[in-house]
Amino acid sequence: MSLRAALTLIIFFAAFFSPRPLLAGESNDGQKTDAPEYARALANYDTPDVAVIRQDGKKLSFGKELDDGRPVILNFVFVSCSAICPMLSHLFSKVQTKLAKDGQKAHMVSISIDPENDTPAKLAEYAKKFGAGSDWNFYTGTREVSIAIQKAFNAYRGDKMNHTSIILMRAKPGKPWLRVEGFLSPDAVAREYHTMLQQP
Amino acid sequence: MDPQSTSFPDTQRQSSWLLSSRRLLCFWLVTLALVARAEPPVASSEDVELGRRIYMEGILPSGEPLKGKRQEAVQVEGAEAACETCHRRSGMGSLEGNIVITPITGRFLFATDENRPLALVDPRAPKNLTRAHTPYTEESLAKVIREGIDVSDRTLSPLMPQYALSDVEIKAVLAYLRQLSSEVSPGVGDETLHFATIVAPDVDPKQREAMVDMMRTAFAQRNASQKVYSGRMRMPIDLIPRTLRNWKLTVWELQGAQETWGTQLAENYQREPVFAVISGLSNTTWAPVHSFCQQEKLPCLFPSVTLPPAETAFYPLYYSRGVALEADVLAKHLRDQGKNTPRRLLQVYRDNKVGRGASLALTEAMKGSEIQVENRVLYGDEPIELKAALKGLSSKDAVMLWLRPADLSAVNKAAPKQLPAVTYVSGFLAADNYDFVPKTWKSHVRVVYPYELGAKRQKNVAAMKEWLKTWQLPLVDEAFQTEVFFNLLFLTDLTSQILDNLYRDYLVERAEDMLSLDSNVSAYPHLSLARGQRFASKGAYIARFAPDGNLVADSEWIVP
Repeated sequence: MSLRAALTLIIFFAAFFSPRPLLAGESNDGQKTDAPEYARALANYDTPDVAVIRQDGKKLSFGKELDDGRPVILNFVFVSCSAICPMLSHLFSKVQTKLAKDGQKAHMVSISIDPENDTPAKLAEYAKKFGAGSDWNFYTGTREVSIAIQKAFNAYRGDKMNHTSIILMRAKPGKPWLRVEGFLSPDAVAREYHTMLQQP
Repeated sequence: MDPQSTSFPDTQRQSSWLLSSRRLLCFWLVTLALVARAEPPVASSEDVELGRRIYMEGILPSGEPLKGKRQEAVQVEGAEAACETCHRRSGMGSLEGNIVITPITGRFLFATDENRPLALVDPRAPKNLTRAHTPYTEESLAKVIREGIDVSDRTLSPLMPQYALSDVEIKAVLAYLRQLSSEVSPGVGDETLHFATIVAPDVDPKQREAMVDMMRTAFAQRNASQKVYSGRMRMPIDLIPRTLRNWKLTVWELQGAQETWGTQLAENYQREPVFAVISGLSNTTWAPVHSFCQQEKLPCLFPSVTLPPAETAFYPLYYSRGVALEADVLAKHLRDQGKNTPRRLLQVYRDNKVGRGASLALTEAMKGSEIQVENRVLYGDEPIELKAALKGLSSKDAVMLWLRPADLSAVNKAAPKQLPAVTYVSGFLAADNYDFVPKTWKSHVRVVYPYELGAKRQKNVAAMKEWLKTWQLPLVDEAFQTEVFFNLLFLTDLTSQILDNLYRDYLVERAEDMLSLDSNVSAYPHLSLARGQRFASKGAYIARFAPDGNLVADSEWIVP
C-alpha cells in the first residue's frame, strides 16, 4: 500500500469514528465553537452629533467626549444584561489595569443600549462594581441617542437582546476605527491596542 | 387525543453520518441509557438544597462564594457566577445576541431518543431547536462544568465559565438539575391551559366588561385557530409539536375589603389552579394580588392598575409604575424649568390608596427642590369642595390634579379667579377625558402623559381598533384596551415560543426578554423588559392642547 493510500485510509477511519463533526463552529445553536476567535476590521465611522449623559449626571457632547485627544476604546453594554455585558465589563476592567501598568491613557467608553433603564445612578453603581477608574466612563441618553450611536458604529441590532460582543478602538480623531468582534482576552485587547497605536 | 402523546417526525434527531449505522446507534443508545439509569434516580433533599445554593446564589456548600474562570483569568464570583445568571431560574436557558444558552435541566441533559424534550432556543429563528446529544452522565457533567468540554467533546463558548467543583458539589448540582423544571406547572391540564384574570371590586363596570369580553373573544379565537392548526404551515416551527391545549379563562372577581382579597384569591386558586394571571383591573390597590402571585409563584402579566406596589418581585410584571412614574416625570420636568420654575406646587388628591400614593411619590421626588409642595385633599363630591381645595392660588403657583374624570368634571365650576401658572393633570387618572378643561384654562393645562401621541399612537393602536370592529366589541377606553390587547398577543407569542415546556418560571423569563416583540400594538411608545426589570414603560411626556383640541407633546419623552 502506498503511503498516500495508507494516509487516506487513516484519515477516513479517524473521521468516521470521530465523535466530533468535521467542521467546528458549524452548529446552528451558537454555543459550541472551537478555540475562541475574533474578527477584526478597520472602518471609518462618523461620530453622531448627540448629547449624552455621563454616569455622574453631566450632560455632554458625545463628539467632544470622543475627541478629547486620548485614544478611545469603546463598547456597548446594559446593566440588566446577564451574559455578554458582565463579561465585556470584566474584560474592560482587566484592560484598564493593563493599560495603567503600561502608563497608557486611553479613554474607555461604555455606551448603554438600554438607556431608559440605565439611569446615570444605575450606571455609576455598575461602574463601581467593575472598578471603573476616572478614564472609564459610562454614557446614557435618550433612546433615540443610544440608537443613533449604535447605528453610527454599525452595532444596532434592533433590540438590546440581539447585541453581540463588539469593541471599537481609535488612536486619535481622523484615524480609522479598529473593530474587533467576538471573545477577546484582556491580553488580546491590549495587544490590538498597542499595535493600533504603532500604526503611522 | 392527549396532545402530549402526539407523535411527531424525527426532525431533531442528530443526522450525523457518525450515527448513520442503525446498529451502532442502537448500541450506543442502549449503553448510554444503561449508564444513565445506573445513576441514583432519587437524590437526597439535602443534595438538592446544596445544589440550589450553587445554582441560584453562587454559594458553595462550605459557604464560600462559587468561583468561575473565563479565559485568561477573567474571574466571576458569587451571585455573578451562579448558573442562574445565564441558564435562568427555570434552567431553560436564554439567548443573548448570537449566543445560545441551552437548557440544562435533567430532562434535557439526560434525554434519550425515547423521551427527548424539545425547546426553541432562538425565537427569532424558528428553526433553531435544541439538538440531540448523547445523554450526560455524572462524569461528563463534571467535565463540562470543570473544563467546558461537552458530552459531544466540543468546547463551549468562552462565555461559559469553568468551575473547579468537587465531586460532592457536582453531585449537588446534578441533584438540583434533575428535579429542576421536571414537571409542568400547576394550571397545565392534559388538554387545557388554565388562565385567570382578576377584577377588583371598585372598577368601572364598562371597563370590566370591555376587558373580559376582549379576553374571552381572543381566547375563543385562539382556540378555534388551534383546531385548524395542522393545516397551517408557514414556518418551520409550524411543523413542530407544541401545546395544542385549549386556553381557558376564568374571571376572579374580588369583593369587599382588601384585607380579605388574599383569602379570596387562595379560594379561587384552590378551586381552579391557573398557569398564569393575564391582565386584571383595579382602581385602588393591587398589593394583595401582587403578594399572592409571588407567594404562589404565579406569573401575573401586565394588569391595568394605576399604582403597582413599589417593591418588585419575580412573578408580577407591570406596564409601568403608574402614578408614581408620573410623579417622578413631573418632578424632573419641574426641576428643569429654569426661569419658569413655579414658586409653589399644590397637589390635589383624594384620600385613597392611589391619591395618597401619588402625592407621596411627588412629595418625595420634589425633596431638595426650591419649589414648595403643598398637599390639598379633596373631600365630598360638590364643586364647592374642589373650589376650596384650589383656594389661594397665585399666578406663580403650579397645580397637580391627581383626579379621575368624575372629579375633574367639577373643575369648570371650581375654577378660581386667579389662574395658576400651570395646571398639571395625571394622564393615567384622567384616562383621556379632557372635556372638563375650561376654554380659558386650555393654554394653562398640561397633561403628564404616559402614552404615545399623534400619528405614532394611531399607528400603534390601529390593529386593536380593527380587531374590535371585527368582533363588534366597543371602544371604551383606548389606552386601557390596548393594554389588554397587547397582553393577549404577547401571551400568544410567549406560549408559541415555549412549545411544550410549560413552566411558569420559563414563561416569566421569556416575557423578560421580550424577544420577538417586533410590533408594539399598545398605546405606549415602546415596551421593554430585561432580567430583573419589572416595568415595561419607563417615561412620560408633558403634553399640551393644540388649537384643534388634540393633545401634543410639549416635552421630549421624559425618563426620570
